[in-house]
Amino acid sequence: MWLPFIGLIIGIILGLLTEIRIPEEYSNYLSIAVLAAFDTLFGGIRAYLQNIYDEKVFVSGFFFNIMLAASLAFLGVHLGVDLYLAAVFAFGVRLFQNIAVIRRIILTKWSTNKEKVEKN
Amino acid sequence: MSKIKVKGKHVVLSLVCLVLGFMIAFSYHLTQIENKEKNPNVSGKQWEKTLALRNQLIAEEKSNRELQKELNQKQDMVLKNEKELSKEAQIFLNLAEDAEKYRMFLGKVKVQGKGVKVTLTDGAYDPKEDNINNYLVHEHHVFKVVNELYISGAAAVAINGQRLTSHSYIICNGPVITVDGIEHPAPFTITAIGDPDVLSSSINLIGGVKDQLVNDNIVFTLEKDDKIVLNPILGS
Repeated sequence: MWLPFIGLIIGIILGLLTEIRIPEEYSNYLSIAVLAAFDTLFGGIRAYLQNIYDEKVFVSGFFFNIMLAASLAFLGVHLGVDLYLAAVFAFGVRLFQNIAVIRRIILTKWSTNKEKVEKN
Repeated sequence: MSKIKVKGKHVVLSLVCLVLGFMIAFSYHLTQIENKEKNPNVSGKQWEKTLALRNQLIAEEKSNRELQKELNQKQDMVLKNEKELSKEAQIFLNLAEDAEKYRMFLGKVKVQGKGVKVTLTDGAYDPKEDNINNYLVHEHHVFKVVNELYISGAAAVAINGQRLTSHSYIICNGPVITVDGIEHPAPFTITAIGDPDVLSSSINLIGGVKDQLVNDNIVFTLEKDDKIVLNPILGS
């Protein structure tokens, strides 16, 4: 159960300790990738709460979304269109929607639990 | 079976978490660095520190300027002092030259220059003359020549190589004459430094010194010399 948290902590430590410098124009791709990762993560949590969680979909979506977002931003830079804005928009909207769904599910669960406690 | 499955699930999940954590941390780290590089004095403390340092720098520059002004003034003063010193040096040089000249006149140092050389020799023995004094060189003959030389502008005079001073004395002492206590026998060589033409012509005046001496049966020779060296006065 604690393995994912240990992985998260190790990842954070590695990221903070890494002294690799990437050029400034590539930092945009990284931000987009982070956004995509967040989106997938919250999507996974929502799916888990809705009992439609599939590990294969989650893992493949996680990495695929990251790469897709980065390549979209890359393509946008080279085409002269700010395509990374589209990614930001899409992921942002989905992030908010996912969080809203998670909040609603948790609220519903909490209130049903409360009713059960009151009934008992 | 289900245990293994759960474990595998967790491993995959932890891998996902690792990648996520790494990306978040790396992005955060990078953004921090970029912010630092873009505007290094964002934080209030740093800004205040920068302001203080800037103020300090301005104060230092101000004081530098004042010091520079002071330095310029001092340099002007030094220049003035140096000019004065050079003037003083000039004065000292003049004084030194004067002292050198006076020393020459006083006979403290060796002098040399153009001049004349007068030789007075006793006349040849003449049996007709009873008085031997009539053909000897007396001190008044020497006086005459010396006075004539001084009058006509001789700067230095010497008898038989002995410099005469302002308080020299010449006395007749039997067959010799004594100059400042030193006896000199005939013939007497009187050397004088001065303009040779002036000196010789004044000596050679008709009815002048030469004629008088010749009348006294004295053998008189006068020669001009381009280089007469007079030694300093003894014991001066």
